[in-house]
Amino acid sequence: MSGKTSLLKVILLGDGGVGKSSLMNRYVTNKFDTHLFHTIGVEFLNKDLEVDGHMVTLQIWDTAGQERFRSLRTPFYRGSDCCLLTFSVDDSQSFLNMGNWKKEFIYYADVKEPEKFPFVVLGNKVDVTERQVSAEDARQWCQENGNHPYYETSAKDDTNVAAAFEEAVRRVLATEERTEHLIHTDTVNLQRRPRSTTSCCS
Amino acid sequence: MAADTSHKVLFEQYGVFIHANSGDGCIEQDLLVSGSIRLVDKDGEVLVEYRPLEDSVDPSNMLCAGKDSSSVMEWGQSPEDRPHHGLEAQHSYETEWDMVNAVSFKKKTCSNGEGALNHSHERNRWAFTFSVGDLSSVTVKMDGWSYLFFKLKEASVSLPTLHFHQGGSAEFLDSLRRCALLRESPEDERCLLVSTANRALSQSFENLLEDNNFGLVHKLKKDPYVTTLGGFSKVTNYLFDAFRGAEEQQRRRPPEEVADLLGEVIPGLEINQQEESGFEVITRIDLGVRPEVQRGEPLSTEQWAEHQDTEGRILNVPHLKQVIFKGGLCHMLRKDVWKFLLGYFPWDSTLEERKALQRAKTDEYFRMKLQWKSVSEEQERRNSRLRDCKSLIEKDVNRTDRTNRFYEGIDNPGLVLLHDILMTYCMFDFDLGYVQGMSDLLSPLLFVMENEVEAFWCFVSFMDQMHQNFEEQMQGMKTQLVQLGSLLRLLDQKFWNYLESQDSGFLYFCFRWLLIRFKRELSFHDVLRLWEVMWTGLPCQNLHLLVCCSILDSEKQKIMEENYGFNEILKHVNELSMKLDIEEVLRKAEAICLQIKGCKDLPHSVSDILGFNTDEVTAGDPWSEVTAPRKTSPAPSPSPTDRGQGAFANGHGLLRESSQNGCGVSFVS
Repeated sequence: MSGKTSLLKVILLGDGGVGKSSLMNRYVTNKFDTHLFHTIGVEFLNKDLEVDGHMVTLQIWDTAGQERFRSLRTPFYRGSDCCLLTFSVDDSQSFLNMGNWKKEFIYYADVKEPEKFPFVVLGNKVDVTERQVSAEDARQWCQENGNHPYYETSAKDDTNVAAAFEEAVRRVLATEERTEHLIHTDTVNLQRRPRSTTSCCS
Repeated sequence: MAADTSHKVLFEQYGVFIHANSGDGCIEQDLLVSGSIRLVDKDGEVLVEYRPLEDSVDPSNMLCAGKDSSSVMEWGQSPEDRPHHGLEAQHSYETEWDMVNAVSFKKKTCSNGEGALNHSHERNRWAFTFSVGDLSSVTVKMDGWSYLFFKLKEASVSLPTLHFHQGGSAEFLDSLRRCALLRESPEDERCLLVSTANRALSQSFENLLEDNNFGLVHKLKKDPYVTTLGGFSKVTNYLFDAFRGAEEQQRRRPPEEVADLLGEVIPGLEINQQEESGFEVITRIDLGVRPEVQRGEPLSTEQWAEHQDTEGRILNVPHLKQVIFKGGLCHMLRKDVWKFLLGYFPWDSTLEERKALQRAKTDEYFRMKLQWKSVSEEQERRNSRLRDCKSLIEKDVNRTDRTNRFYEGIDNPGLVLLHDILMTYCMFDFDLGYVQGMSDLLSPLLFVMENEVEAFWCFVSFMDQMHQNFEEQMQGMKTQLVQLGSLLRLLDQKFWNYLESQDSGFLYFCFRWLLIRFKRELSFHDVLRLWEVMWTGLPCQNLHLLVCCSILDSEKQKIMEENYGFNEILKHVNELSMKLDIEEVLRKAEAICLQIKGCKDLPHSVSDILGFNTDEVTAGDPWSEVTAPRKTSPAPSPSPTDRGQGAFANGHGLLRESSQNGCGVSFVS
C-alpha cells in the first residue's frame, strides 16, 4: 500500500435509541447533541484518518433501526467492509438483539465468509449509572460469537469512540492484507460482469 | 436451452425432483425423478414447464457420486446459477447436502434390490406443462428442503409435487409473482392462491418480508426478468462509465449493488422504463415554458371571519382554499382552520354541531386512552406488542423536536402529551401501532392545537392520508417513488438519465422527504406553512411530489456538474435539510404544476398522478377519451376520505370490540 487513500465503508447497526447516530456524529464532528432526532432512512458521513501509516476515508453509514424499515435499510449493507454492532449498556433488550442484527447483516450484505468478516461490538452509553448489561456479559458474547473486539463507549463523554472506529479500520486492513495475496483486486469487476452480459444477450 | 428462440425463459431451476412412488408396496423404494422447472413466456402466455433430466444423466448416479466426489457440488452450485449466496443459502445448501447423502444411501439399497430406475420414456411421463392462467394455487411446504404442490383450476388434473432439493423455490415463486398475483390463503398460510388478473409487481417487495414465513430466503438472487428490463438503464451506465476511470468504476461497485437491491425492493421502476403495456412510451415531450407565479399573503383573521355565516358555517370554501394555497394561514388561525383542512370539522357544519362533535370525540379519545392507561404491569409483561410500542414511543418522543420550546427540557408537558397521543393512536389503530416518523407528523399538530384531544383527531385525519407510508409493505412509499420518477422523467429527461446512470433512479434519497412530508427538511414554521398549503388539495393532487420536483429542479445542475454518484447524491440531498426556502420551493412547485397542465400530449400516467383526468380541464380532450379505459391503475393516491373511511372503520371496529369487553381487550389483534 503506497500513499493511496482507500475508501472503507462501515455500517452501524443496532436497536433504535442505542446511539448509532450520536456515535457517528461524535466521531466525525466531535459534537454531541442530546436533542438529536431519531434517524429516518439512511445517512452517512465521511472521515479521513490515518491508521498505522494507511490513509483511509471512512464512510460511516447510519440506519433507522425499526423493523418496519428493514427492506429499505438492508440494501445499504452491500459493500460494507466492517459492521459495528451497537447496543446500549442500559438496555438489555438491545444487547439481546445483537445476534439478530449480526445475522441480518451477514445475510443482506452477502458476506462470503462470515467467520472472517470484521465485526466490532460497541456497548454505548457507559456514562449512565444504571447499567443493565455488564461488561463481562458483553465480552463473553463477543468471545462466543466470533471473537469480536469489544469497546465500551460513550458518545456523550467521548469515551472510546475514536478507538472503536480505528479498531474497525485495523480489522478491515488486516483482512484485506490477508486476502490481497490470494485474490487480485479485480475480482469485483469479474463478479459483476456475468450479470451485465446476460442482460445484453438474453 | 439457449437455442429456444420463440420462448423467453423467465426462470429456470435444475435439481427439481419428483418423488414418485414405485407402487410396489415398498415404502422406501421411491423413484427420484430429477429435472428442471422453467417459467416460459410464450407469446405472452406464461407457462410452467417441468422436464425430467436427459437420460444421459442418471440422477441416481449423481446422487451416489455426491458422497465422495465434488460432482454434486458443481451440479448444485454452478456459479452462474447463484451469483449470490448469503449465509442462508449456505445453510440451506448444507441441509441439501445432508439430504443428498441420506438419499444416496437409500438409492444404493434400491439398486441392490429390484427398484432400479427405469429409463427415458419412463421419465418422460413425468414431464408436464401448464399455463399460469390455469393455476389455482401453489402450496409451499418445508421438510429440510422445500417442495411445491400445484393445484390447477381444472380439479381433475393432479400434478406431482416438486421437490426443490437444490433450492430455488423462493426464486421460482418470485418469478411467478411477476406474472400472477399470489396471496396467502386465509385457511392455510402455506397455500398461495393464484390470480392472473393483476400483475402483482408490488409483491416482490413483500417477498423480502415474507420469505421468512417459508424459510426460503434467496431473495438476493437477481432473476433474469428484472435483469432484462434493467438492461435499458445499464446502457446509459456504460456510457457514463466510459468517461470515468477504471478505478472510479471499482469504487462504484457497492452503490451499484445497493441500487440493484433497491430496485427489487421498490418495484415499478421497470415499468417506468418500459411503460406497463408498451404503447405509452414517453418520448421527448415539449412541455412549453414554465409560467411565472407569485405567492400570496397568509389568510388573515378578518378574511376568515368574513367567510363564516351567523351559525358558523364556512362560506365560499373554494375561494378560501385558494387563498390558503397561495399564502397559507396567519399563525393565529391555524388552530381553527387546520381542523377544517384536515377534515376533522366539516366545512358546512354549524358552531353548535362542531361543539357536539367535539364532545363526542373527547369521550371517544379518553375511552381509548383509558385502555392503555389501565393496563397493569403484569398485563404489560405478557403483551410484547404493547410493550414494544411503548418503548419505541418513549425513545422517539425524547428525540422529536426537542429544540422547540414546546418540547424542550426535561419533563416538559409537551413530551407527555406527545407520548400519550401516540399511545392512544396505537389503541385507535393497533394493526399499525407506532412506526418511526409518526412522532414527526404529530409534533406540529400538537404544537398548533395545544390540546390533546384535538391534536389526536387532527393526527388521525393526517394519518388517514399518510397511513400507507407506514404500513408493513410501505406501499405508499413505493407508489410515490415510482410516481415521482414518472414526473422527473417528464420534466427533464437529461437529469433523469443522469440519475439512472448513477443508479439513483429509485430516488431513495427522497425517502425521508416523502415518509414524513418534509418534516425534517424545513424549519418548524415552514413545515406548518407547507402542510397547510398541501392540505388544500390545490392546485392538483399529490402536490408533495411536485415539491420534490421543485427542490430537485433547483439542485439538478449542481448534481450533474459535480458529477455526483449514488452516495454523493444521497448525501447532498440529506444535507439540504434546513437550507430550503419554503416560499421559493412552493412557487416553483406551482409553476411546474401549471407547466405540466398546459402540456398537450401529456402521458396519461402523469395526468393520473396529478389528478388531471378527473377534472374538467381534460374532460373534453379526445386524447383522454381514447386512453380512458387505461384507468385501471389504482388512483395514485387514494383520496383522504377513502382512506379515512377505511381507517375509521378499523378504528370503530376496535372500539366496538373493546367497549363490549371492557378495557384493554383491543390488544387482541
